[in-house]
Amino acid sequence: MSKETVSALITRRLDSPICHISRPLRVLAKAQGYISAATFLHHVETLSKLLPDGQYAVNLCGNRYLFMLSMCAIILKRQTNLFPPNKNPATQLGLAQRYPDTYVIHDGTEIAAGIENINLDQLPAQKFGKRAENTVVPDIPSDHLAAISFTSGSTGQSKPNYKSWHCLMEGAGINSGYMLDDSLASGQVVTTVPGQHMWGLEATVMQAMTQDICMSDASPLFPKDIQALLSQLKAPRILVSAPVHLRAMVMSGLAFPQVERVLCATAPLDVEIAEKAEACFDGELREIYGCSEVGSMAFRRTAKESEWNLFSQIQMTQSGDITIASADHVPEQVEMQDMIRFTSSGRFRLNGRQSDMIEIAGKRGSLKELNAMLMKIEGLKDGIIFLPEQNRTVPRLVALVVMEEGASKTRVNDYFRLHLDNAFVPRPTIQVTALPREENGKLPRKNVLDFYKQISSGT
Amino acid sequence: MADQSPAEAKMAELIVEALNLEDVAAAEIDPEAPLFGDGLGLDSIDALEIALAISQEYDVQMQAEEEHTREAFATLRSLNQFVESNQKA
Repeated sequence: MSKETVSALITRRLDSPICHISRPLRVLAKAQGYISAATFLHHVETLSKLLPDGQYAVNLCGNRYLFMLSMCAIILKRQTNLFPPNKNPATQLGLAQRYPDTYVIHDGTEIAAGIENINLDQLPAQKFGKRAENTVVPDIPSDHLAAISFTSGSTGQSKPNYKSWHCLMEGAGINSGYMLDDSLASGQVVTTVPGQHMWGLEATVMQAMTQDICMSDASPLFPKDIQALLSQLKAPRILVSAPVHLRAMVMSGLAFPQVERVLCATAPLDVEIAEKAEACFDGELREIYGCSEVGSMAFRRTAKESEWNLFSQIQMTQSGDITIASADHVPEQVEMQDMIRFTSSGRFRLNGRQSDMIEIAGKRGSLKELNAMLMKIEGLKDGIIFLPEQNRTVPRLVALVVMEEGASKTRVNDYFRLHLDNAFVPRPTIQVTALPREENGKLPRKNVLDFYKQISSGT
Repeated sequence: MADQSPAEAKMAELIVEALNLEDVAAAEIDPEAPLFGDGLGLDSIDALEIALAISQEYDVQMQAEEEHTREAFATLRSLNQFVESNQKA
């Protein structure tokens, strides 16, 4: 297949806003309001010259404008963005060891000791100055390794996914065909998901760089904040979110301005929440199915259909229960962790996950890995992490731990917090005197569940 | 540990209930200890769950840009104060 050897850093109109700054940013001399794509390019070129030398940059910027700005400046300097699954100092250290010649770029996050870092919040504003009259859009080599995004593995080393510039830009073009349409051409985007995650990157930042849409720089969490932000922006509005956030919005009872398109990552999303969201926002909700390796792959209008529509640029081949996904712009073939059943060409259902795999708040992990990690904790005699059936929107893992004499389970909790993504930190961690093992040492799931039921009913 | 006021005790019950904190007794939550990080170790999903429970129980909507979430949710005491001062008379 042929591919261009270079492509432009941004492929959108330059005179329209690429971002809306919700609160004054010190580094941009307290700029607020709309920032045009041309001004953005000026910021990118300026920042690119201020970046340290190095091969990799862990991009931890929380403000979405600063995140996009750093990402592009890093790419322009022919460095590679590292997008970790979380901001934990332990994660930063792990990346710095794994990728020597790495620095961290951020806007005020706790940085692990000893790591070179640049804090955009403390960069003097005058560095950015005024932009030149003529804006030239720089070209980036298609094969430049623009980013490595890390799959939110449950423990240990997360899996790197290599994103060449070609892969990001091709993916962006494919996604806009399914996420947006002509009526949303000048849409304004509010999102509740970080830019560092593939979902946030694809549905917000990459769309703003390649379509004439404008994204908000804010990261609202609570429904009231999302409502306030949406009200600040002009129609048509687009909301990019996740099931747990959408649920909070529709349950809040707040009145929201019209949102013409809601895009939601799947975890999956309840039909009931999807129906309520369409009513609440008076717009169409598309749930998107994807994985970190390939990116977005399929969509469904959850309120109206249960089957997924595979993007025509993505191929899936099956043998037995195994489904392999591939696409021209993605270098590797990927084995899916879901059981996929095709009902007709290009349409499929999701029939659960392979048994060891769990998904919590959109993050995927392996129980086997989590339990292997648990057993490494000093002072722990025996223990198990499992996922019981529970009556909560966001399920949580449970840990049963047997501690050695004198050791407290606080040690286990501390270890979890340091080494695990929040979503996988067991809640609760219960200290017991022994696990319900059988005589041969085996620990059947049924024993664990019965035992847990007994403890939690207070008997 | 500082004493819980009756209003704080009610808020503690709500948190334990909303988050299924089976290993935590509501009465044992120190009103001045951090809820997030080293305290109960809550995260943003928990913040959303608590916010939802608060909106249903007290008719108060939590509001805070991400970086200020921790201030409103710093401790049982600050959370309760926030809710009390935002409750409609």
